[in-house]
Amino acid sequence: MEIEEIRGTFKPELIPKETGGDLDDYEDALHVLMKFMGSMSSALEQVSGRGANAIVYQAGKRMGHESAKMMDKTDNLEKALDEMGDVLGHEFYFEKWKPSGQDSYTTQDGDQVVVKLLFMDCVVRQTLRRTGLPQKGPLCYLLYGYMVGAVEEVMDIKGKIDIDHVGPNACLKTLTITWSGK
Amino acid sequence: MVNIEIDEDACVGCGSCVEDCPNDVYEMDETKNKTKVVKVEDCMACLSCHEICPAQAMEHQDIHVAKRLYIDRKVNYELDRII
Ligand code: SF4
Ligand code: SF4
Repeated sequence: MEIEEIRGTFKPELIPKETGGDLDDYEDALHVLMKFMGSMSSALEQVSGRGANAIVYQAGKRMGHESAKMMDKTDNLEKALDEMGDVLGHEFYFEKWKPSGQDSYTTQDGDQVVVKLLFMDCVVRQTLRRTGLPQKGPLCYLLYGYMVGAVEEVMDIKGKIDIDHVGPNACLKTLTITWSGK
Repeated sequence: MVNIEIDEDACVGCGSCVEDCPNDVYEMDETKNKTKVVKVEDCMACLSCHEICPAQAMEHQDIHVAKRLYIDRKVNYELDRII
């Protein structure tokens, strides 16, 4: 394969536009990163066993807290989820989901509120499929941690997320928040 | 809303989709020994049934199709030219 070399003049704080690359460069980089993430995840699992999930979950949670710092604080779960949807964007596109027999998206159980989230687009899922790894592994915990971190930051409550089901086209998760938590 | 079509000629009646669907969308039609859709309104288009069906007997229409950025466009381009 012939590699096209980029030549240009480089001054401090003036990065030549050509180094931004084109779509093919982005595609190549994405594939390399996916493979890299995939092998990192399976190596982590090999070395740390189930502890790998906890490590990645914490990393995701930290990311969630960080990115939610710029969101408006609210105690309204629906509003918090809308804001999180905006921040997560199209790469983690999710919607609230409920079975047909249930009236509302949220259900209350004591001081806990439960909502089911259907993740339709997910870069983690794509990465796992790219590298032939099963879903529900450590990489998935990055997204769980992220969601929990973000919801905790925005609502100032305690949250947890459980996996209901993973599929090749969508994954269903249950988000539980505890009002009195923290 | 999602619509699910079952190709009854293809379905081998293994029941895998009935067992695998988390939302009990399918049931076995015991007389025909084929699967049938009984709760389409609970389908969340996860497509787990597509992965498990040995006969590729179902089609989900009008669903959100998740992005698959791992598909190599260059390979796809070459395949398009050949096929
Ligand atoms: S797509 Fe998922 S929810 Fe819908 S019928 Fe198939 S397994 Fe069930
Ligand atoms: S998994 Fe496929 S072949 Fe088996 S019962 Fe369902 S539709 Fe028929």
